[in-house]
Amino acid sequence: MNGADSRNSDKGKRDFLKYVLGGGLLAWVGSVFYPLFAYLKPPKQAEVEVSSVKVGKLSEIEKDSGTIVRFGNKPVILVRTASGEMRAFSATCTHLDCTVQYQKDMGVIWCACHNGKYDLNGRNVSGPPPRPLDEFKVILQGEEVSISKNA
Amino acid sequence: MTKLWIKLYRWVNERVHLEDLVEFLGKKYVPVHSHSVWYYFGGVSLFLFIIQVVTGILLLLYYKGSEQLAFESIQFIMSKVEFGWLIRSIHSWAANLFVLSAMIHMFSVYFTKAYRNPREMTWLTGMLMFFLALGFGFSGYLLPWNELAFFATKVGTDIAGVLPIIGEPIMIFLRGGEEVTGATLSRFFGFHVAVLPGIFTVLLGIHLILVQRQGMSEPIDVENSPTAERKAMPFFPNFLLRDLLFWLLVLNLLAILAVFFPWELGKKADLFAPAPAGIRPEWYFMFMFQTLKYIPAQLWIVDGEVFGIMAFGIAGLLWTLVPFWDRKSSRGEKNLLITYSGMFAVMYIIILTILGWRS
Amino acid sequence: MEIIRTIPMLLLCLLLPLMASSQSRVDQCLTCHETLGDKPSELFRRDVHFQKGVSCAGCHGGDASAEEMEQAMATEKGFIGVPKGDGISNACARCHSNATIMVKQFNSTLPRNQLEVLSASVHGKLSTTGKEHIAQCTTCHDAHGIVSTKEPGSPVFPLNVTKTCAKCHADAAFMRMYNPALPIDQLDKYRASVHGMKNAHGDVKVAACASCHGSHDIRSASDVKSRVYALNLPTTCGACHANAKYMKGYRIPTDQVKRFSSSVHGKALLEKHDLGAPACNDCHGNHGAAPPGVESISKVCGTCHALNATLFASSPHKKAFDKRRLPECETCHGYHEIVAATDDLLGVSPEATCSRCHRENQNAKGYLAAKTMRHLIDSLESSEKRADSLVADAEQKGMEVSEARFKLRDARQARLQSRTMVHAFNEEKFREVIGAGLNVSSIVAGEGQAAVDEYFFRRWGLGVATLIITIVAGSLYLTIRMIEKTQERQK
Repeated sequence: MNGADSRNSDKGKRDFLKYVLGGGLLAWVGSVFYPLFAYLKPPKQAEVEVSSVKVGKLSEIEKDSGTIVRFGNKPVILVRTASGEMRAFSATCTHLDCTVQYQKDMGVIWCACHNGKYDLNGRNVSGPPPRPLDEFKVILQGEEVSISKNA
Repeated sequence: MTKLWIKLYRWVNERVHLEDLVEFLGKKYVPVHSHSVWYYFGGVSLFLFIIQVVTGILLLLYYKGSEQLAFESIQFIMSKVEFGWLIRSIHSWAANLFVLSAMIHMFSVYFTKAYRNPREMTWLTGMLMFFLALGFGFSGYLLPWNELAFFATKVGTDIAGVLPIIGEPIMIFLRGGEEVTGATLSRFFGFHVAVLPGIFTVLLGIHLILVQRQGMSEPIDVENSPTAERKAMPFFPNFLLRDLLFWLLVLNLLAILAVFFPWELGKKADLFAPAPAGIRPEWYFMFMFQTLKYIPAQLWIVDGEVFGIMAFGIAGLLWTLVPFWDRKSSRGEKNLLITYSGMFAVMYIIILTILGWRS
Repeated sequence: MEIIRTIPMLLLCLLLPLMASSQSRVDQCLTCHETLGDKPSELFRRDVHFQKGVSCAGCHGGDASAEEMEQAMATEKGFIGVPKGDGISNACARCHSNATIMVKQFNSTLPRNQLEVLSASVHGKLSTTGKEHIAQCTTCHDAHGIVSTKEPGSPVFPLNVTKTCAKCHADAAFMRMYNPALPIDQLDKYRASVHGMKNAHGDVKVAACASCHGSHDIRSASDVKSRVYALNLPTTCGACHANAKYMKGYRIPTDQVKRFSSSVHGKALLEKHDLGAPACNDCHGNHGAAPPGVESISKVCGTCHALNATLFASSPHKKAFDKRRLPECETCHGYHEIVAATDDLLGVSPEATCSRCHRENQNAKGYLAAKTMRHLIDSLESSEKRADSLVADAEQKGMEVSEARFKLRDARQARLQSRTMVHAFNEEKFREVIGAGLNVSSIVAGEGQAAVDEYFFRRWGLGVATLIITIVAGSLYLTIRMIEKTQERQK
């Protein structure tokens, strides 16, 4: 092989390499920036929704009502009595783990599965539940209501 | 494409006069010898630091640093944010690789005695950055506010508090109070994303400028060999491209680790629960932690733990000041004492770390 | 002449003692008091103690052989007069708790721990005076005409015991002093019960107060040691009702306790000690014991199973069952041997209860409804299972699916609620409850599947990224080689 030919084939190799490197670099940049941009796009559930503590404003919680709130992985029922007091209990019925609800007309915390009833202190007063509901602490910081574990 | 770059360069050059710099950079050479592979580890550490900054900023967009929301915000990143799992796992893995790479870099500099005259300041800034890296690791570890991190922080700050006189104020300063609480989390968050990065960047800048000005150090026996036998390669493009290749492989390694060994989250910290079994510090603190376990409770009139901490403190100080008490290397002579004490340190760290893991 | 007078005197003196001893021993107390005509001595002639040769002094102390009152009723001889309060029971216990006297002297097989047991019982508590037990031996056994408890004359004989207990327990003013909350109508209720009616007609085998409550060992029903404490009650009832020999002639089964113990109620009560579970009295009543009537069974079951009872009462089955005199809840669930209801009870297969009345060509409307409802609940179960396994798979793979796991609770809850809703026997209402559950489980299954898909996507993505990096790294390496070769050549 004479010098000119080898230099030509070298040049051919060089060009090929340049294309592969350039193309590969482009693909690499894409594979780095695609996840980055996807990450920056806000997800559908825009915020950390865990109400493991914060529930909302006191003024937004009606008197004589109850709401279920997610505390980590467990449901907690927040009850505001007719007189305005705030109480929070585990919303897992102690009978067969159904989720309880506040019954305004009966004035009790009620379990729809087997008619278990708890008074507004969480004590099991009627039906199959064998134990009272665990109590949670309700903390009022100004207007903000939050729930925490009872220590 | 190239024409565009040339045009851009000319435009900037007219205003800033980059020719001197370009000439200087073009003349940079990196020595080639049997130990030149270690030269890459400074760059790898730098690369990993950049990765930490980038992934850290990305995490900052979704992380919430309060006691109530920290854990859940990371759960959110892991499950709801697209590629959040990737960013978080890379950040956690790169942190560990960063400390490892920094240690390799530090030991390779130590064994090749690169800290000797005229590079004492480079060594000092490097050592300070290493301590900051440990601080990054300790403060960052708490941020997910999970069970293991909470107790590891408690134990770690307890140890700091054991020092005589200054220990208690330091502990309260670190914790933001008497106990580890949400206040501690806030403080650690502030240290981790603002204080430590700021100081680190300044030190890094000094360190890199010194390296640029002074060039790479060669081992003493290479330095003493005849000039004809010494080989070197240009920094641009040879060493740089090799460096980038190495960085590319490290990046791939991080991706593989993130997919196959995702970083766990565990259980949310509960201030009132008893300590779970298996609390341990991260591996880079393990050897010190394990050493403290072996020291008896009382040594003459000194409390065992205090003795251990002081001993490590003095060892660290001696290590940091090695350029100043290693006279022989400054003179260009072999110093076996340094080499052997370095090997002892490496062995000690490895053995104690393994012992700590197995216990 | 003197000799003639002394001989009868002598004879009298000789014979009198003999005459006295022919009165089964010396009991001058009785002799004297009888001539006085007091009631106790009249009663005492019939007393079992008298028959056994015990004199008045046996309880009252003193010297039964002395004729003179001062000697007979001397405190030096141990006379205690009419004992009061605990003195009464202590006097009885002096013999009745003494093995030497009871066994050696009288060959008695009677127990000897009555006073001890009584003192630990509810009647052993202090009375309102604070000085003695509420009840003494004589409160129930009488004082002077005591006969064996097996004799019809005993106040604690089964036919008499109700009156004896009612002396206090039906007296509102008296019971108010000790336990105002305790009912006082037990006797009235008892008389309306099967036991009470038979007892009134002279049946001594049937249960009376002491049969269930005990005699000396009576404890409050809330005392764990009481024979009528919930956990002990099945054994107490079973003492007669599970004894086939005893129950011969009454023509009712004797397997109730056995069946109950294997039932869900029995297991809950006797094995898990769940006091919320019914014992015999919760369904049959305490004193007014009788099995509930055909139309009222759902009301009895409904005292606990309220939702099911309400739904049943307004369901088409209520009228249908009443017309055919079918015992409501019992028809499908049994009575003593009630087992935990499963989905198998519902439907049209041979082992389902519905198929007993509903066939394709018989009661066809109900047949279709049963078939559909079973199909619906099965589909919810399988849908829930599928969602659960998808979420579990994602969890196994290390994906974050705690929120999906949380939502799955609602599917399970829907299934539990549908089992109650069955009792409305209304396809529409049933479908509604099931529908909500199916909705949730399909959402959760979607989330679980998405998590699993994401797991695999990550691995694929990594593969692609690695491929790209390898190409770039490879070509970069070749580029470096090429540059260095050129540099070499230029040198």
